[in-house]
Amino acid sequence: MRDLLLDGVRWRPTGRDEPTLDGLRLHVPGGQKVLLTGVSGSGKSTVLRALAGLLDPEAGDLEQAPTGPSRPGERGLLLQNPAHAVVGATVARDAAIGPENAALPRPEIHERVRRALEAAAVDVDGSRDPLAVSGGQQQRVALAGALALHPEAMLLDEPTSMLDPEAAATVRRAVLAASAGRTLVIADHHVEPWREHLDRIVVLGPGAQVLADGPPEEVLARRPELQETEPAPGPAPEAELRIEPGLLTVVTGASGAGKTTLLRSLAAEAGRRRGSLLLVPQDPAHFFLASTVRGELGDAADPAAAADARSLLDRAGLAHLAGANPHRLSGGEQRRLAIIAALAARPEVLLLDEPTVGLDAERRSAVLALLEEARDRGTAVVAASHDPVLVAAAGSRHHLEGTPSPAPTAASASAGATTPAPEASAEPDRRILPVPRAAHRPADALNPLMLCLIGILAAVGSYAVSTWQGGLLALLPTVLLAPLALRSVRGAVWRLTPVLLSAVSIAWTTALLSEAPALSGEAWLLGLKEACRITAFVAPGVIALTSLDVTALGDALGGRLRWPARPVVAVVAALVRAGHTGRQWEIITSTRVLRGRGGRRSPRMLAGATLALLVDSLRGAEQQALALDARGFATATRRTWALPSRFTRADLVGGAVAVLLLVWPALAQLLWASLPG
Amino acid sequence: MTRMRTIDLLVSVAIGAAFGVAFLGYGALYSLIGPLTAAFKPAEGILAGIWFLPAVLAALIVRKPGAALLAELVAATLEMILGGQWGWGTVVSGLLQGGGVEIGFLLFVYRRFTLPVAMLGGVIAAALEWVWERFSYYPEMSWTFALLLLAFFLVSGALLCGALGWAAVRALGATGALDALPAGRDRDRERRAAATTAA
Repeated sequence: MRDLLLDGVRWRPTGRDEPTLDGLRLHVPGGQKVLLTGVSGSGKSTVLRALAGLLDPEAGDLEQAPTGPSRPGERGLLLQNPAHAVVGATVARDAAIGPENAALPRPEIHERVRRALEAAAVDVDGSRDPLAVSGGQQQRVALAGALALHPEAMLLDEPTSMLDPEAAATVRRAVLAASAGRTLVIADHHVEPWREHLDRIVVLGPGAQVLADGPPEEVLARRPELQETEPAPGPAPEAELRIEPGLLTVVTGASGAGKTTLLRSLAAEAGRRRGSLLLVPQDPAHFFLASTVRGELGDAADPAAAADARSLLDRAGLAHLAGANPHRLSGGEQRRLAIIAALAARPEVLLLDEPTVGLDAERRSAVLALLEEARDRGTAVVAASHDPVLVAAAGSRHHLEGTPSPAPTAASASAGATTPAPEASAEPDRRILPVPRAAHRPADALNPLMLCLIGILAAVGSYAVSTWQGGLLALLPTVLLAPLALRSVRGAVWRLTPVLLSAVSIAWTTALLSEAPALSGEAWLLGLKEACRITAFVAPGVIALTSLDVTALGDALGGRLRWPARPVVAVVAALVRAGHTGRQWEIITSTRVLRGRGGRRSPRMLAGATLALLVDSLRGAEQQALALDARGFATATRRTWALPSRFTRADLVGGAVAVLLLVWPALAQLLWASLPG
Repeated sequence: MTRMRTIDLLVSVAIGAAFGVAFLGYGALYSLIGPLTAAFKPAEGILAGIWFLPAVLAALIVRKPGAALLAELVAATLEMILGGQWGWGTVVSGLLQGGGVEIGFLLFVYRRFTLPVAMLGGVIAAALEWVWERFSYYPEMSWTFALLLLAFFLVSGALLCGALGWAAVRALGATGALDALPAGRDRDRERRAAATTAA
């Protein structure tokens, strides 16, 4: 096992004035278990990236660059937010990315993924969507992804700080069990939970200066502030959610119990009633809409509001940043800014989603002080949280019993209660399988390339339509074959309505603006022909695409057609994450509507929301790049694909359909012309 | 320098995906001008430029060959999969729009990433998209109206794609989201040069 060595590394990332690493020396002998700790902003994450060999000289000034790993995945990296690292449509496929990048043979990929999911204690089926499982499960999937490459060293960046205490404990157990015989470096501001498993604690100060370094007992004796005291238990849970002026209420419950959903439905309801209510989402960046910190606090022209804004900035410790861009603030500063920006609008009710998650003790108490201030101003404050310190400070607590325990009681089973399936299954299926589908249709059996070919050839064929009669005939095979692909009547309507609407719009445009007299009978028939032609062009492709699975398309393009592997993987990852991106868009737009930035159709709101979504996506892409490069993606120009892309007998039929759709419109045209009369 | 790093690839596709999602919300913009376009279709061309935004943003941010094309293709593919009204036509549009912007930057050998080049890219994308729509969606439209449509397309390509895209990249730079990317390095250099002269 190799040592990890930083030998006086200096690193100034682009956009910063001061280096984040200023001549750091750190030697981690092979097999050692080390905890890096220190306040937020001390550069713990950067140290981990340096140890992983992932500092990019194109993204900053780098001196004394540390040596990188000698093979892909030699040093595994786990990020604070595991959702950023997800690139696969299923849990097993996500864990397979590393072995695929390393171009391992297919049977070995399957074997390694099975063992890695087991070693990381992932206890959901491999076919589940990794973006739909709980945070704790997600972090264990990320752990499995790292383990599948048989790392010598594991580097973990606050792996449990986004999780509730129980989920955090399961992740810690999995990490510690998997780290046997490996080097382990953890960045975390909580020392206690790791303490008995450590060989060494390194305390970092600003610029990643080493403040203390030694065996745990020695470092803790010298720095007693690292030991945390247990918070008081807080109020007992109440059945009713109390929203009262001057009361701080917490909503507790395991992740997935529906805390966020509850807040969002309260916000939606208030929006309908035009109540004075604001919701600060979990990512405070989603709340911002101004280009300066001062701008977030409302109108500067009104003297009373301006005085209030100044005092809020002072109390949040942000006065010196008044002119800065909100997105440039640190995580803790962003949280405080979002809260005072909400307070400046003087809402009657302030809702907050996990306002202290991921913050260290000092930053957490600063946020807490602001929440207490809001309460003392007479605001009704409701925070969804699993933070014991926040719970202890609350005046009322409402507990959500969302997910049932893994073993349902006999009473609920016999009552036939429709409880959601427990997340953990008894013996999960860890195989890498194709992405499961809701309802099976015959077209699902086709290779994705054949599904694409059907749509493309049909589009080419549609150009043969030259009369309205031929156009109507041309649509016949599409109408007859559609049931082989469409899943339900509702789905069909949802899919085909936009197509038909645009056909109508084209008919209207043609009737109005063609060479024929506007809106004459002749012009309308031209319009009908155009509507048929465009439907024949679009509809077969749209219908075939309902059977398209993007993961299988990636396997076909990369594995079969040998398109460049890295762009294919990147595109598939983006398409797999589209649902996640859609959820961010929903949070951003609804926050803007609540903050009075115009309705859902206002161009100003849409422009600002697009910019905010881009900031979110770009930050996410940065994290994703780290996660992927830690799994050997940078060199994955010749990679393997976990699942083969096969052509079967069904594809012969598919091919025949494609050819039929190509030639039929021309045939229909001839057929019409040859009819007597 | 021209090799796509992992982050370049992921940023390009992320820009495309973000717009693919946002485009679903943009349908509302068309309903705003609905009464106008029902009577005079070519006016709809005035909004055409927003569809090429992913390409021009990716080119200005990533500054490498292929970024514009990749971003626009992802946006188009996503739109098609999420149930866009033009099916495979969307992907052809994506190729032409991404390719058009790509040509604009290629003419300056990927060395200039300024407002005029962005506007040129938008105009070329608009011209190519017009050719496609003229012959595939509006072949029966009279030439008078088709040329009016072209005029709206070109203006929109220059302003809503080129100028707005360029402004959006400036705004993104201010947020720090571009710091690790080529566009962020320029900003950093300017800022540090200004700090040195001030001192």
